[in-house]
Amino acid sequence: MTESKRVLTKKDITKLAFRSLFLQASFNYERMQAGGWLWSMLPALKKIHKDDKKALSESMEDNLEFINTHPNLVGFLMGLLLSLEENKEDRNLIKSLKVALFAPLAGIGDAIFWFTILPIVAGISASFAMQGSIVGPLIFLAVYIGIFVLRIVWTHMGYELGTNAVEKIKTSSQSISKSASILGSTVIGGLIAAYVHITVLSEVKINKEHAVNLQTDFFDKVFPNILPLGFTLLMFYFLKKKKASPVLLIAVTFGIAILFSALGVL
Amino acid sequence: MHDITLIQGILLVVLAIIVGLDAWLEGFFIFRPIIVSTVVGFILGDVKLGIICGGLTELAFAGLTPAGGTQPPNPVLAGIMTPVLAYTAGVDEKTAIGLALPFSFLMQYILLFYYSSFSVFMVKADKYAKEANTGAFARLNILMLIIVAATNGLVVFLSAYVAQTPMRNLVESMPEWLTHGFGVAGGILPAVGFALLLRVMMKKELVPFFIVGFVFASFIPYSNLLPVAVIGAALALYDYFNNQKKQTFAPSTPDGGVDYSDGI
Repeated sequence: MTESKRVLTKKDITKLAFRSLFLQASFNYERMQAGGWLWSMLPALKKIHKDDKKALSESMEDNLEFINTHPNLVGFLMGLLLSLEENKEDRNLIKSLKVALFAPLAGIGDAIFWFTILPIVAGISASFAMQGSIVGPLIFLAVYIGIFVLRIVWTHMGYELGTNAVEKIKTSSQSISKSASILGSTVIGGLIAAYVHITVLSEVKINKEHAVNLQTDFFDKVFPNILPLGFTLLMFYFLKKKKASPVLLIAVTFGIAILFSALGVL
Repeated sequence: MHDITLIQGILLVVLAIIVGLDAWLEGFFIFRPIIVSTVVGFILGDVKLGIICGGLTELAFAGLTPAGGTQPPNPVLAGIMTPVLAYTAGVDEKTAIGLALPFSFLMQYILLFYYSSFSVFMVKADKYAKEANTGAFARLNILMLIIVAATNGLVVFLSAYVAQTPMRNLVESMPEWLTHGFGVAGGILPAVGFALLLRVMMKKELVPFFIVGFVFASFIPYSNLLPVAVIGAALALYDYFNNQKKQTFAPSTPDGGVDYSDGI
């Protein structure tokens, strides 16, 4: 039964691993890697949904939502979610799982690749290079080509994991879907605290010696990250209730940032 | 003291385009100074100088990572300009790293500007997604890659070949409020992305979990969100087991699942 639904071949998954190179093709602060994420998976999505324009468009819209994860590990997530997509799982389940998983994966990836592997490899290869030895750059190159090739492994791993879990997911699809949304919502809350940064630099002078720093003495004491949360909810309000266009919100946010920076407030 | 020939200038531009794209995508890591400077050494005909510059610059830049969302001074321009300056000005490699920094900053500002302004392209992307117009969507991505590639090529052409001094003066004359403003915008803009996410995902019954995640991440500032995800997973499991229990006692709907839309 499950086999018949498979439309993606091993070759497609390997191709997906290579295409994950495009993850950051249209990187921007509003949606981060969303554009490249979708672009990388597009051939696979087209193959899954074939002539069903409506399903393809729904899937494209879902996959264009905010995502920021680690380029070297992203294949795992792509493979996992595509296996669910291939089985035409509930869209909410796929979406929630994506939101729940991308940030932890980013954290793990940053810790492994930026904070562990890079300093070690850079340190060793630079020590050769500083003596003028070509061995230094060659070691560096070899390690990173190896890391890129591992993307193929992660991608297959994610896809297999998803395919094997699909039967289990099917039988209690709704419970899992609800659980996934709970996990997703928790992570979104955390994402706002972690990714949105607003620091007020203004101080209110009380007398000659004393000044109250609005950020450290007021906002941080009231509630940490209250401004990022407030601003996000304000944007949410404009989007949902006022049907404001995202581009207007981006432009206004950008303008406010430059203006307040010039005034010395932010 | 050497001059750079036009051929060398063109080769540097080709290099800048390739490694500039790699840096944007964080793909093969050939954008790191240790690789870039070595290739620049080949182009300039002094491989040893390139390798040494690469080693020194790599060490200086190893701690400057884009992890966590802050954009460090651009490693591509550092990797290219350090050996170029050591070669053309005849200064020693360590001095050249310092002299190359303004060019790194220039590229960093340009990329910060792109990171913010490329947000606008997402409106078009949303439209193509809605229409399931895969061709136009791919072209939109390619367009952004071309902008990035061309910018890397142009900045390196100007910095290394045409106008080193004016380029450095440009960076030094840039007002602080403007460069700082790009950084501020970068810090706030994800709010719009999250708001869009909330619009599609948030339901009333999920608000408590959203609050838990936010408060937890705010009070336990930690370098990644793994602990938040674990809390979320615990809550999700709790809910899952509760539902399983209910399912065994309550009569289930014909398709075997429980319909949540009624509200429990």
